Amino acid sequence: MDIATERRDGVLSVLVSGRIDGSNAAAFEEAAKAAMEDSDRAVVMDLEKLSYISSAGLRVLLMIAKSLSGRGAKLVLCSLSDQIREVVEISGFDKIIPVRASRADALASLDA
Amino acid sequence: MKISLNNDTGEIRGAAERIDAYCASHGVPADVAYAINLAVDELLTNTIDYGYDDDGAHGLEIVLRMDGSVVVVEVADDARPFDSSRTTAPDTAAGLEERSIGGLGLFLVHELMDEVGYRRDGGRNIVTLRKRAVAAGGRRVSDSR
Repeated sequence: MDIATERRDGVLSVLVSGRIDGSNAAAFEEAAKAAMEDSDRAVVMDLEKLSYISSAGLRVLLMIAKSLSGRGAKLVLCSLSDQIREVVEISGFDKIIPVRASRADALASLDA
Repeated sequence: MKISLNNDTGEIRGAAERIDAYCASHGVPADVAYAINLAVDELLTNTIDYGYDDDGAHGLEIVLRMDGSVVVVEVADDARPFDSSRTTAPDTAAGLEERSIGGLGLFLVHELMDEVGYRRDGGRNIVTLRKRAVAAGGRRVSDSR
């Protein structure tokens, strides 16, 4: 698992690559939290290069969504593979975390 | 095919690669292989993180076989008795603030697999997963091999 970040207009984009499972979900959470700043009004998790995520990784996404929401900020997911989208939908996470087709869509949805 | 591993979640990735290879060589579609890997990962992670009363080394075993066009996977461990065939669905309709963190792994196993069976045998938990090897579009796996 690796992350690459980019910040524009108070929106942090995080490109996540590789796989997230029980062995590295904590490292993913730590890396994502280290990249986030309190002034970020939104975080876009770009999952285009994520090949695999288990419930351990989904839990981290849920915790990030909750912590952002707690201070009035927002988490958006984008560029999910069919398999990851299926797992996100089965989990019901698509009902509580916005999912967009591409990073451009995600960023556009956050434009004031 | 039999895969043996230790109670270390770091070993799940290597097991996943072998499951992928087995599925590919038996004509199992990639999305079915993905679902099987996720189910096996969730079972192994549950056991490794919560199943043992001590901090010692334990062996786990995965056995894969084809039953016609059905992939059958047995996951065995010597952890505390735990029946993975029973599960309570998390409240997937709950809002963000109300949504709880637990119980998701086993729920995914049941949603993704066609059948989840459990037996306790000789001090081991044995979970049997069955999943039809049919591609997402409903196409049956070919018998070309």
